Amino acid sequence: MLAQELYDVRAVMQQKGIMFAYCGYVTEPVLSGVGEALKQKLAIQDADTKTVRSVFAIFVEQMQNIIRYSAEKVPAGEEAPMELRFGLLTIGQDEDGYTVHAGNLVENADIERMRTRLSAIQAMDKDALKAAYKEQLKSTRPDEHSKGAGIGFIEIARRASQPIAFDFMAVDENHAFFALKACV
Amino acid sequence: MEKLEIAATDRSPAVSFDFDAHHLKISGESYPEDVTAFYNPIFEILDQYLGALGEASCRFDFELIYFNSSSAKAIMMLMEKLDEAAEEGASVTVNWYYDEEDDTMEELGEEFGEDLEHASFNLEKMTG
Repeated sequence: MLAQELYDVRAVMQQKGIMFAYCGYVTEPVLSGVGEALKQKLAIQDADTKTVRSVFAIFVEQMQNIIRYSAEKVPAGEEAPMELRFGLLTIGQDEDGYTVHAGNLVENADIERMRTRLSAIQAMDKDALKAAYKEQLKSTRPDEHSKGAGIGFIEIARRASQPIAFDFMAVDENHAFFALKACV
Repeated sequence: MEKLEIAATDRSPAVSFDFDAHHLKISGESYPEDVTAFYNPIFEILDQYLGALGEASCRFDFELIYFNSSSAKAIMMLMEKLDEAAEEGASVTVNWYYDEEDDTMEELGEEFGEDLEHASFNLEKMTG
């Protein structure tokens, strides 16, 4: 029974072609550890260098988006030195290539701004993405995190082989679940 | 000035600034946990060096395999500092080495390099 239940969870993911899944609080050390395993797995699969680096780059930006912006969080306190933010990230593979999905809660108040920004990025061709990347670099400094929809999304779109997809789903009166998909 | 040598980690690049030889190099991967904590001390020492460079020559090599979007801002700031030193009279050469199997890094090199107005810029394939 126990094994069956857990196996079913795994089977659902396997059906979707998911080879990696992380669901929980994401911290920088989690990014390091999962990233290391992902790199090895991609290397074993013999994917070409550019594909491996692109999947990895998207993974890093998605994880850091969760770490910085997920609205589902446990604040740092006396016993926990680090703020914890909750998110979900999966990496899948099918005959067309790799897909990285990431999801996390966002505040309803941020949805419109994110939607506008992401729609704009979705509509950009390669040259427009390059220009936007540079413009964003020039307008912020390393110690600032542009709140919500900055250069990370542009980096993801640049590394992806087709336009990014995104969606929002209402969760409660203040929050929505945000999902982002990038294919390489 | 004393050399600055920082060994690479999984998430941060190797830094080798041989100030006496006027040869500065940054190589590897850059997606540190805390970009500011990693790059600020590098900026400080680079400012000291460039401030005293006068009309001497200096070579800066970027040999990066991967950097995340937060590091990109730091790399752009390095470029800006080098270009400013060149504007003030130093002879600055910036070399950007890319892995030929990843044209993203070549594109990024072009994009960063085209902003250099005073330093000279070379885009080269990595060897070996």
